[in-house]
Amino acid sequence: MRHESGDDDETGATLSSIHASDNERSDFTGEDYEPWLFQTMLNELSERELGVGFIYAILELFAERHGLTDVAVVLVNESFGTQMFRLGGAAVTSEMAAHLSASPGVYCEPDHVPVPERDAVRTACQLAMSLHLARFSAAHDPLTNIANRRSFDEALEIAAARSARYGWAFTLVLVDLNNFKLVNDRSGHEYGNHLLRQFGFALRQAVRQGDMAARVGGDEFAVILSNAEGHESSGFTERLRGHLASLGNPVDFTIGTATSPRDSTDPGELLRLADGRLYEKKGIRIS
Amino acid sequence: MMSRTEEDFELELRSLPGVLNVGITKHANGDVNVVTLVANSKDPSATRSAATQIASLYYPEAAVVVEDANRALSDHNRGEGPRVALIRADYDTTDGFCEVQLSVDGRTGIGRAGSGPLIGGAEATLAALRDLGYDVPYSLMTVTNVTNGRDWPVIVTLRSLANDADRFGIARSEDDLVSAVKATLDSLNRFLSTLEGRV
Repeated sequence: MRHESGDDDETGATLSSIHASDNERSDFTGEDYEPWLFQTMLNELSERELGVGFIYAILELFAERHGLTDVAVVLVNESFGTQMFRLGGAAVTSEMAAHLSASPGVYCEPDHVPVPERDAVRTACQLAMSLHLARFSAAHDPLTNIANRRSFDEALEIAAARSARYGWAFTLVLVDLNNFKLVNDRSGHEYGNHLLRQFGFALRQAVRQGDMAARVGGDEFAVILSNAEGHESSGFTERLRGHLASLGNPVDFTIGTATSPRDSTDPGELLRLADGRLYEKKGIRIS
Repeated sequence: MMSRTEEDFELELRSLPGVLNVGITKHANGDVNVVTLVANSKDPSATRSAATQIASLYYPEAAVVVEDANRALSDHNRGEGPRVALIRADYDTTDGFCEVQLSVDGRTGIGRAGSGPLIGGAEATLAALRDLGYDVPYSLMTVTNVTNGRDWPVIVTLRSLANDADRFGIARSEDDLVSAVKATLDSLNRFLSTLEGRV
């Protein structure tokens, strides 16, 4: 698909070259092989994981290499839909979006870059976006966007190891929503999910920089309060209640805590202690 | 190079339904100033609300603007350009000055004016438009709050400096200041769309 536009474009879009690549082949082999791009990817991969930042880095290099004043890439994928990126992290104008959303490709100003190189750039960007999304999804709970159980377990292992080695204190807080099953049963799962999303947002507001909040079960959450000896959990609880109230979220919760290294430096033991204290507060005896 | 936090912030915004593009404008000191989303969304206000929540977690001071790609397309089909959006309007009760920040296509402009939230709001809006680079050949003639009560519209009248017809705008919003700003924009939006691309 090819869109024609130029200096006489009346739309006000500043990317005059609305030329999508009509070449669907876009790989790093044969004629489409682009050494500069491949080398850049290798360099990036050796230093860090590919992500959104890589896309902007590629666009900058691409613009520099070809003397472009503006460049945007449009990516289309089942998992992330249509996404547009513009040189320097600038917003595409809404008018550009209306034009560009029709087809994926790399749009250049001026438009003098060979199609294979544009295709290679698009493929690299697509790969970076997919990898970033996959990495984010692997580490986060999809409903609340806070860390998932796997990330939490890793973080707890690391925090416990540091606590054992250096004596750095942290407090593990387990949070259990009270009677949440009733909410789901009475008001439906959609409303329940809405409350859980809000709860996740309130948790993110309540934790301090350097702390970690995670959803570790259906209605169970966990927080690692860094550099905390135990009493900080009351401040955290107050902040959480305050944020929930400001969101109009009626959910109540119970917490159980364990502090390292005072209680233990073993992650499993910390979890067991916090869990036991939580159920003790709820008046439930665990056999 | 973007930090992991910046990358995840942008990814979270891009994960919102219908979001096509994220633009981030920073202050000279590197703090995020304005986050502009272009969204093909059925409910732009819900997108804005979700984006504002996300932004508040990463950059609490940042303003969030959502531009509607669908409207841009329909405006284009009608021969109109992109619209100017209100980012924030503040009224300082101690000195009586209003400050208005506007955005269009990722650019922002700020205007200040005294004279209270009604007249000051309209004048600050004109100043912000000029700060955006628009040549606005109009001066403020009247600002009227229809009943002097809450939830009633504000009407702004602008007089042409070039002997063209006066322009009128009307808006009702949460307070007088925002109503005055939106009424001023309402009076000028079609005129501004004809200037877009020449700014």
